Amino acid sequence: MATVEYRNIVKNFGAVEVLRGLSFQIEPETFTVLLGPSGCGKTTLLRLTAGLEIMTSGDVLIAGERVNDVHPRDRDIAMVFQNYALYPAMKVFDNIAFSLQVRKLSPDEIRRRVGEAAATLNITDYLDRYPKELSGGQRQRVAMGRAMVRDATVFLFDEPLSNLDAKLRAHMRVEIRQLHDRLGSTSIYVTHDQIEAMTMADEIVLMHDGEIEQIGTPDEVYDRPANRFVADFIGTPSMNFLSGEVVADNGSPAFRAENVQVSLPDSVPATSGRKITCGLRPADLSLSETGSINGKLILAEKTGADIHLHVAVGDRNIVAVVPRSANVAAGQTVRLAIDPAKVHLFDAVTQHRVN
Amino acid sequence: MAVANLTRRRSALFDHPLPWLLPLIAILALLAIFPLFYSIWLSFYEWSTFNRQLEFVGWRNWATLFDDDRLSASLIVTFSYFAIALSFELVLGMGLALLLDADHRGFGFLRGALTLTLVIPPAVAGMMFLLMEDAEFGVITYVLQTIGLIDRGTPILATPSLALAGVLLVEIWQWTPFMVLIFMAGLRSLPTEPFEAALIDGASWWMTFRRITLPMMGKVIAIAVLIRGIDLFRVFDYVFVMTSGGPGTRTFSLSLYAWQQTFSFVKWGYGATLSLVTLAIVLVIANLFIWLTKVRW
Ligand SMILES: Nc1ncnc2c1ncn2[C@@H]1O[C@H](COP(=O)(O)OP(=O)(O)O)[C@@H](O)[C@H]1O
Ligand SMILES: [Mg+2]
Repeated sequence: MATVEYRNIVKNFGAVEVLRGLSFQIEPETFTVLLGPSGCGKTTLLRLTAGLEIMTSGDVLIAGERVNDVHPRDRDIAMVFQNYALYPAMKVFDNIAFSLQVRKLSPDEIRRRVGEAAATLNITDYLDRYPKELSGGQRQRVAMGRAMVRDATVFLFDEPLSNLDAKLRAHMRVEIRQLHDRLGSTSIYVTHDQIEAMTMADEIVLMHDGEIEQIGTPDEVYDRPANRFVADFIGTPSMNFLSGEVVADNGSPAFRAENVQVSLPDSVPATSGRKITCGLRPADLSLSETGSINGKLILAEKTGADIHLHVAVGDRNIVAVVPRSANVAAGQTVRLAIDPAKVHLFDAVTQHRVN
Repeated sequence: MAVANLTRRRSALFDHPLPWLLPLIAILALLAIFPLFYSIWLSFYEWSTFNRQLEFVGWRNWATLFDDDRLSASLIVTFSYFAIALSFELVLGMGLALLLDADHRGFGFLRGALTLTLVIPPAVAGMMFLLMEDAEFGVITYVLQTIGLIDRGTPILATPSLALAGVLLVEIWQWTPFMVLIFMAGLRSLPTEPFEAALIDGASWWMTFRRITLPMMGKVIAIAVLIRGIDLFRVFDYVFVMTSGGPGTRTFSLSLYAWQQTFSFVKWGYGATLSLVTLAIVLVIANLFIWLTKVRW
């Protein structure tokens, strides 16, 4: 329904630069996730979008209209706050109904909408309680309900699942995504949890230190991380990084470091001696007699579904994920192999992707 | 061994609460409990000017209460004073607190200036307003005349219909800042998130105040009403200095009546009885209020 566009957003708190000139556009009806470590400015960007914070410079456009000076109530947005921000003196029903009461909808209509939202969120039994009488998960759902009854064009979510237990979190991920699909609205969802981002997003905006590192679909940021930061941030266990150089091996390019030699796709320029950082995803590594990564197994962690191997290669430790059927024992010498197409290469200085 | 001994000696002395409470108990006994029981005792006696001694009169003082026009008059004055002052101080106090809560330039100074009225002794404030409400050269009289509220040369404090309002003026002037301070502290301790949520939900200023601010301030308001209400009920200084209860009984408060009986008319027994009545009314109303508003101390 509505695009959201950011143009050169700068936000300073006193001398602290929190957002350093962000520009990007969010397409209508997409579920966009702002992902980044704690303190990178995600909440600040969301609050700027809602109009709760005034930016130092730049423009925010909603549905093509510049909203810098538009009051929050006129931006047609709904927001779920990180710490819920429920109205403590109102019962759950009124918490959800408040925005509708403000707009003077008929009591019947209000009851219908609140009832619907409560049913979806499974909180019908709590409508008569005060927020302080609810558990964290229930409060979170009330906060969701408050956003749901609004038919806003843009929905903002600020880490709404951060206080839930793992099981409820997995359940709510699905609920929120379904809600988005049903309402056909534009959603901006903030999280520091890459699993949430990968599972829910149409598009991920990866932020770091008030700047955008990469924008792309979950597949794009996973398969082709734009730089070492993104590569490190996305994926569990995190990517292994090895420093070394590019060499020409019988005319085709290869990466070489201590105890490591990895063939590279022919598309990589075989400039011999170029310093480079090589990124290997643990899941892309496999045990192989002919593998060219030699190391000593220090620890084999069983997770149930598979085994995490911690292997000492030269002076570094790397992690590989192998099937649970693998027959390995700590102390053993192992050889790991990887498909050349799955190797990520980053310039040793700029840390930008080179392949 | 020595250490263990020391510890034991210390705990024996310091663990018991009594030594720590003794000073407080002594003060309470001296200043509250003794006078209370002495008053109760006194209320069954009366000073006889003829015999120059206290004489036992049984329930006579208590019976007099039910047939005392001055008492009913003073009760009406006290309750009116209480209700009007409290309403004004609450509404004005909340309004000013909301205004001053904003962080505009110079508001810090205003907040500081507000406390000034509180450091003036009430009797002195009463004298100030007595002068300012003077019929000839009082500034308040002049202003009220200029805007046409009263006729030229009206002695506010000597006019039956205006006297109580004249006293209320100083009361409200001096004690509204007290409310402002309490409310401002309350407002500043409120969480900000609900207000941001209300902003996004599109609530108007009034809706936000009525549905969010006010309910969250409930306990603070209740405490302010309690503290100020108890004080208002014992109003003495202002009426004593400004009107001596006049004209007629228009500003004759309960405390003033008790004082007059005790010290002017030397009816110690009846004066004590009146004080006990004041105490009983305050206790009943205050506890009823605490119970109704569920204030927890
Ligand atoms: N009101 C504020 N005053 C000063 N600094 C702030 C304020 N709000 C946020 N910051 C700072 O801005 C940075 C980004 O904060 P935030 O947007 O909350 O990060 P995130 O939501 O990504 O964890 C942090 O370093 C934080 O300390
Ligand atoms: Mg945050």
